[in-house]
Amino acid sequence: MRPFSYAVPATLAEAVSALAASEPGTKILAGGTTLYDLMKLDIEAPPAVVDVHRLAELAAIDTTRPDEFSFGAGARMADVADDPVVRRDFPVLAESLAKAASQQLRNMATVGGNLLQRTRCGYFRGGPAFPCNKREPGSGCSAIGGLDRGHALFGAGDACVATYPGDWAVALLAFDAEIDVIGPRGVRTVAVGDLHVEPGDDPQREHTLAGDELIVRIRVPVTPSGRGSTYHKIRDRESYAFALVSVAAGVAFDDRGVVEDCRIALGGVATRPWRSPAAEAVLIGERLTEATARRAGEQAFAGARPGTGNAFKIELGIRAVGDALRIAGERAGR
Amino acid sequence: MSTPTRRVDAREKVTGAARYGADRTSPDLAHAVFAVSTIGKGRVVNVDTAAAEAVPGVLTVVTRIDPAELGSPGFLMGGGYGFQSLQPLTDDRIAYRGQPIALVVADTLVAATEAANLVRADYEPEPIATDLDDEGAETLVQEEAIPLPFLADIVVGDADAAFVKSPVRIEASFDLPRQHQVPMELIGGVVEWRGDTLVVHEGTQNAGALRGGLARQLGMDLAKIEVIAPYTGGGFGQKNSLQPHVGPLALAARRLGRPIKFVMPRTQTFHQASFRPASRHRVRLGADETGRMLAAVHEVDQQTSRHDLFPSMSTEITSRLYGIGDFRGRQRLVRTDVQTPGFMRAPFEHPAAFAFESAVDELAYAVGQDPVSLRLANDTDVDPVTGQPFSSRHLAECLRRGADMFGWAGRTHEPRSMRAADGSRIGWGVAAGVYPASLAPAVARVTATSEGKVTVGVDGHEMGQGIRTAITLLISEDLSIEVGDVTVYVGDTRVAPQHLTAGSWGTATALQAVHAALRELRKHLNVADSDPVDLGAAVAATGQTSVEVEATTIAPGQPPEIIEHSRAGLVSFAGPVYPGFVAFSFIAHFVEVRIEPTTRRIRVPRVVSVADCGRVASPVTAASQLRGAVVWGIGASLREESEVDPRFGGFANATLEEYPIPVNADIGEIEVGFVDEPDPMLNPVGVKGLGEVAMVGVAAAIANAVFHATGRRQRRLPIRIEDVL
Ligand SMILES: Cc1cc2nc3c(=O)[nH]c(=O)nc-3n(C[C@H](O)[C@H](O)[C@H](O)COP(=O)(O)OP(=O)(O)OC[C@H]3O[C@@H](n4cnc5c(N)ncnc54)[C@H](O)[C@@H]3O)c2cc1C
Ligand code: SF4
Repeated sequence: MRPFSYAVPATLAEAVSALAASEPGTKILAGGTTLYDLMKLDIEAPPAVVDVHRLAELAAIDTTRPDEFSFGAGARMADVADDPVVRRDFPVLAESLAKAASQQLRNMATVGGNLLQRTRCGYFRGGPAFPCNKREPGSGCSAIGGLDRGHALFGAGDACVATYPGDWAVALLAFDAEIDVIGPRGVRTVAVGDLHVEPGDDPQREHTLAGDELIVRIRVPVTPSGRGSTYHKIRDRESYAFALVSVAAGVAFDDRGVVEDCRIALGGVATRPWRSPAAEAVLIGERLTEATARRAGEQAFAGARPGTGNAFKIELGIRAVGDALRIAGERAGR
Repeated sequence: MSTPTRRVDAREKVTGAARYGADRTSPDLAHAVFAVSTIGKGRVVNVDTAAAEAVPGVLTVVTRIDPAELGSPGFLMGGGYGFQSLQPLTDDRIAYRGQPIALVVADTLVAATEAANLVRADYEPEPIATDLDDEGAETLVQEEAIPLPFLADIVVGDADAAFVKSPVRIEASFDLPRQHQVPMELIGGVVEWRGDTLVVHEGTQNAGALRGGLARQLGMDLAKIEVIAPYTGGGFGQKNSLQPHVGPLALAARRLGRPIKFVMPRTQTFHQASFRPASRHRVRLGADETGRMLAAVHEVDQQTSRHDLFPSMSTEITSRLYGIGDFRGRQRLVRTDVQTPGFMRAPFEHPAAFAFESAVDELAYAVGQDPVSLRLANDTDVDPVTGQPFSSRHLAECLRRGADMFGWAGRTHEPRSMRAADGSRIGWGVAAGVYPASLAPAVARVTATSEGKVTVGVDGHEMGQGIRTAITLLISEDLSIEVGDVTVYVGDTRVAPQHLTAGSWGTATALQAVHAALRELRKHLNVADSDPVDLGAAVAATGQTSVEVEATTIAPGQPPEIIEHSRAGLVSFAGPVYPGFVAFSFIAHFVEVRIEPTTRRIRVPRVVSVADCGRVASPVTAASQLRGAVVWGIGASLREESEVDPRFGGFANATLEEYPIPVNADIGEIEVGFVDEPDPMLNPVGVKGLGEVAMVGVAAAIANAVFHATGRRQRRLPIRIEDVL
């Protein structure tokens, strides 16, 4: 870790001006569970951090509106995961957080910071010994031809095959969430689907926010398929592990029991949160059965491009999609 | 006296009052961090420390130490003291990724860390071999490479001929991964000079080797070195010897005139300390049609480093599991570019039993026998290797009682024949385990006061296994005093030599010495051995306020001089073969796995384990040893592998987050039982060992259960989701 300057603005407005006036490379600090970690690994070395962890204006959780849930960027993962209304009306959101990290981390970490967590690729985190285009542009990608069991099947390129590791963003993507962002140039809204980018030939760029832009809140449209939803996460142990494959799924049935809305997004298998409209389309207008769920899973994983150690995640993923849809369907009260 | 329901130091541990090595502090404490090699092998040609030295608060950056100032500690298994013979910083060779290239000492940990990150080096890299089959890995036949009798191949009869003649033959090869101990307490502590005495506070299982090794490395008198380790936060073999950071710290502390604290970062513990080596076990098992085992051949290839030969003792137990008349072991060592691997809980016995007990299960299925009945039918009273009797052997009782507790009778034999309501496949598996019952020399000094209180200083280390509790219970029962009136000093070279506590000999060794000291005490107090005693009154009757006695004990058949060997900090244990008998502990494990119908996650809702460890010296900590070992076995078979990218060497998943030890959610019900029959032939307290045998066979029981659930044999650990998909 290198020396850095540290500011704690008392209000959101102060935070925005602090960021506007800040040196290039300044970082926003929330729970610090990603940022400090990467600073200790000498991967992030910001000259300054602006700490927004205690800003009351970012903390609110609002589930009172019929059309939309809103989560302040500074709300703690644990608080959203434990919120009784979220758990009842939008289980996929609560589960994606409850199945992430550990209780200690969830107590510290915020739902805003969560969106911008960085890949867990071991070569990226391992330091200068390993060529890594994300850490050192042009140095190469050690994961290609290396230990890639955790790496991406989708959205990868020759420069980088690192998985986006988060769970929450996968759930948000499936349900068309948006984020409100504030910065020196004003306020704007970004769809979660437009937040993360594939590595292309610039794997250092992971999202579309400017360095001086601050996430204020996350808004999720309330929909019937949110009630009939689940976050199904398959990992190497029962807790405290990133996904091998995860599926955010939601379904809603019409009164004849035919699927009228379906959401399928994948985690742990792509360079960004990965939604599969083609898989959703398989089910819409159909009945949800083991066979149709399997077909949706196969569709979701069509076009997967495995490396050397992660091909098993295709079959695993297909089955996980099937299970997720079954759980979601049971909740939707088919 | 009532048996306490918790360990005697539980309160200290839970409240944080227990002082571990790195808990020491002092106003002028300096902090150390090592910069490490970023290549897997070669030469370091230049280390640039300018940027590091410029960091405010940095006191010194050491890149090279004259071997005349700091010699090799010697390898623990080669008559030395170190986890490996190689002492980093004393020349330009890089033998493995993560080898220290510079020591930074600074006023604060932050400064030392930042400076260590800024150390840059130029290298001349060389090609590496990291795996058993890699080009450049060098395979040696162990008995030729290390011609010591106890490492020779075990050969009884003509197993190859008997195998060929056997009507039923099983042949299989098993691969086991490298694994790391990851004890909760990181390696490290505080090193300080008090005048010309070097004092080391560090969690260890072997304070004696730290002292002896530092004396050798620094050319010092043993009497001028003190090692103090009242608590060790888990060792599991990784803390069984002198680590190479201590010598450089001692030199730096002397030069700076300040105590230095060092806590090895978790990632460095994967590279700067021992680990369980990769191994491959080829087992051939011959039997008649009833499942009577006639011949066994067990061949082992085990990874070692280039600079040391870490021997394998795998066949010591597989030759004793059953009464097999013809047995041939062969152990080979494969040199690769790693730090020297070492003893990790049940170091050879866990891999060996995984292979052998999996093969035994295959045999049961080949002859259509129940796996428990087959094992019972092959039991023996006589050691097939030496022809001597076992001091005690209650394996059959472990199997019978375990089967009962588990409800084994409800099992259907056919694979894939048991299914849960949710569609999960159920598998029930069994396996047996054996582990040598060794003993080491020990010194116990007991002081009893006229207030009826007792203090004892004895060889032994408290690394969580509960040795302090076992010693306390022995004294409290013998002298009819309260547990709270007993104070135990272990892990401290000021009170006893502090021979290595490992290999499950710790409790028996310490208790045997304390028992002898108590006999001495009774003599002084004029109280017959078995009579009840009013301790305070008896001491007062001597006219003194306190009485002090000392006793030294050794293993059966050891020469008395062995105690001097132990005082020098050298490994001095004996067993399992003693004059006239052999001694082993035994266990049987019963496991239920459930495998999800779709995504095939393997779960272990239920384990029953019954152990024969002689007399149970401390019921609470014994039960927790056994449960902990089962947890280890679950991790070892379903989770843990230290991953290596052969292009780079070192270990890739070297953090607690990525190295997947089990979490609470992975563990179901673990029911434990003990035969609890004293073994008076081995020692007067009747105690064998428990901590290691407890893990032996868990992996095989799990793999056998997975076979029962799926019909597919698993011959490689860990068994992961992709293996059963
Ligand atoms: C051991 C471990 C295991 C984990 N396991 C999981 C897991 O299984 N699943 C999972 O999803 N996550 C997991 N995580 C990641 C964890 O959820 C994230 O680290 C956490 O959510 C980040 O939140 P934070 O508040 O601590 O962010 P910080 O670390 O403070 O910040 C993270 C990033 O977001 C930026 N940032 C923070 N707040 C804002 C804001 N309001 N506006 C703009 N930018 C902002 C920061 O500048 C930084 O770049 C794990 C983390 C660890 C350390
Ligand atoms: S996958 Fe991406 S992050 Fe990982 S080594 Fe390659 S470039 Fe670096």
